[in-house]
Amino acid sequence: MVRIKGKAVSPGIAMGRALLHSYTREEVAAVPISPKAVEREIWRLENAVKKSRAQLKKIHRGLQKIMGKDAAFIIETQHMLLTDSHLLDEIKGAISGKLVKAEWAIQTVERKYQELFRTIPDLAFKAKGNDVSDVLDRLIANLRRSPARLSPAVSGAAAAPGGQFILVADDISPSEAATLMSNKRLLGLVLNKGGETSHTAILARTLGIPAILDTGNATALIASGDTVALDSVSGEVIVQPTPDAALEIGRKIEQFGQYKEQLKILSQLPELTRDRHQFHLYANIELPFESEVVQSYGAKGIGLFRTEFLYLDSKMSISEEEQHLIYKKIAQNIYPHPLVIRTYDLGRDKSDPGRPRQEDNPSLGLMAVRLFLKDREPFKVQIKAILRANTSGNIRILFPMVTEIEEVRAIREIMAEAKKELQRAGAYPRKDVKVGIMLEIPAAVRLIRHLGDNVDFFSVGSNDLIQYLLAVDRNNTDVAHLFSPFHPAFVHILKEIRSEVARAGKEVTVCGEMAGQRLPALMLLGLGFTNFSMNALAIAEIKRVFTRIDFVRLRRIVSHLERFGSRTEIEGFLRTELEKAYPGLLQSPSS
Amino acid sequence: MIEKKQQIFNKLGLHARAAAKLSHLANMFSADIYLIYNEDKVNAKSLLGILTLAASVGNEIMLQAAGADEQEAIRAIGDLFDRKFDEEI
Repeated sequence: MVRIKGKAVSPGIAMGRALLHSYTREEVAAVPISPKAVEREIWRLENAVKKSRAQLKKIHRGLQKIMGKDAAFIIETQHMLLTDSHLLDEIKGAISGKLVKAEWAIQTVERKYQELFRTIPDLAFKAKGNDVSDVLDRLIANLRRSPARLSPAVSGAAAAPGGQFILVADDISPSEAATLMSNKRLLGLVLNKGGETSHTAILARTLGIPAILDTGNATALIASGDTVALDSVSGEVIVQPTPDAALEIGRKIEQFGQYKEQLKILSQLPELTRDRHQFHLYANIELPFESEVVQSYGAKGIGLFRTEFLYLDSKMSISEEEQHLIYKKIAQNIYPHPLVIRTYDLGRDKSDPGRPRQEDNPSLGLMAVRLFLKDREPFKVQIKAILRANTSGNIRILFPMVTEIEEVRAIREIMAEAKKELQRAGAYPRKDVKVGIMLEIPAAVRLIRHLGDNVDFFSVGSNDLIQYLLAVDRNNTDVAHLFSPFHPAFVHILKEIRSEVARAGKEVTVCGEMAGQRLPALMLLGLGFTNFSMNALAIAEIKRVFTRIDFVRLRRIVSHLERFGSRTEIEGFLRTELEKAYPGLLQSPSS
Repeated sequence: MIEKKQQIFNKLGLHARAAAKLSHLANMFSADIYLIYNEDKVNAKSLLGILTLAASVGNEIMLQAAGADEQEAIRAIGDLFDRKFDEEI
């Protein structure tokens, strides 16, 4: 038995036979042709292009069916490449110039571009190299009429003996991921590469297929036919489990199944504690299509739509028109529930094109609202798109990283300009958008009273607020253990937020990670917070916990926290008292 | 042959969609049209070629055209850049 650690990007537990997909490129030989055969090769190429276009369209349609219309971005570039006459001319030129078969000509062109893309430092451009290979491989496969080459992982999967399987591979291409995920026999997915925000991860989550990515070397440790278990709770892949371990996993699978059934029932329950104290659970989303599934997880609205993705992903175009359509569609999907759109939170990430230059200390530098107040045009485009989209009146706008009143005034000014311009063009929907700011820098918390005169609502970004309060980067493994929502200073600041916001007569939502974790979320509820926005997958579990407790009793327990001056004491006290009051409340249903 | 210096104004630079628009436009002219950026020179009629430039906002590139309709080509392409590829209204 071997255990492999990876990143669980989609929840669930699965066990089954491994199907190893080791991608060895089929050799393409340089077969010489006579000048007379050139025409035939070009005809073959054109046929392959036609076929490939039809296949991409089919994949696109399949994706649309399961993910909605916005699925296009996954294969859009590939489709565009196939309509690039210059690329095709280049391949044809290689055929007639070098007198070789179309397969070899394509490979020559592919190698040339791989080399070019490899040297590009900008990640968004570099990633296009994968699309180029993916689409040119498809052309070669279609030339050979070999389904195996067309998509080794997909056809391997189709030919796998008997029943369901867990696919193990180094990496899979965007189009392979799309096709594989709609295969009903796919039980789970293990990759050496890939990350939480890869197309593969997003697809797996949406379709509820357990997936553990970024394992580094899974393909070296697993052989086809091995029994493999995926446990996304622990983020582990267990290879050839012992009989005892297999029994244990079987039990977990059964429990997880029951749990999922429970979640369905839970998502229909009213948002009330046992003593009928009201709370609201919203979803955080990043991709437009997620708005189509969050309600089935029990979300009563979207508490945070992170828009950076629109801006960063593949350097896709983001005109006002396109943005406005995206916002409008999400707002309609979630109607009558609210949609909170957060403006671009750019500037801190190294791969971020919004980051203007090297900064010694990007977390204290030109980022988010600061970036936009310096360069207002793209900001105004986004604001106009948001204002325009509010035709159903359920959109709210949220500004990140505000630290002072002057910033709010500048934002208000830009919003007024945007509104005026839209009105002049007859495009303003006559419904005002509520304006909110994030509380993620301690300075903003101290200013709630003043900020409250200028905004309609607040949103607590707990991850950043903890980082800026405790001076801890939780991605730095040397100090990550110091990052805790139970730090007494942070608990104190939460109390301050609660009372100051109430005094200002405004609403507040907590939208950081802690809102979706049992113990921290219970503490928030006990402190008087009622609006929580989280990863959609956490909603049912938080609801299970919240609907089982009595608010009055929880509040009493939480009121004792002031006595403690250490994070371990606070966490320990909460855990013990809650276990005493509600046995089993904090146990994971799947462990 | 004529040349024109051209700055990239659209926020996203010459990404996939902008490159598609640019190559589409370039293909409407009979002149040979090239983009030169850093040391690289690519055919403006090639989407893939344009992508490999990885040119971003603020960068300056050189437009080069040679052929019967070179004037019109440079004017039309320069205009597309100036309009920020119609991405930002």
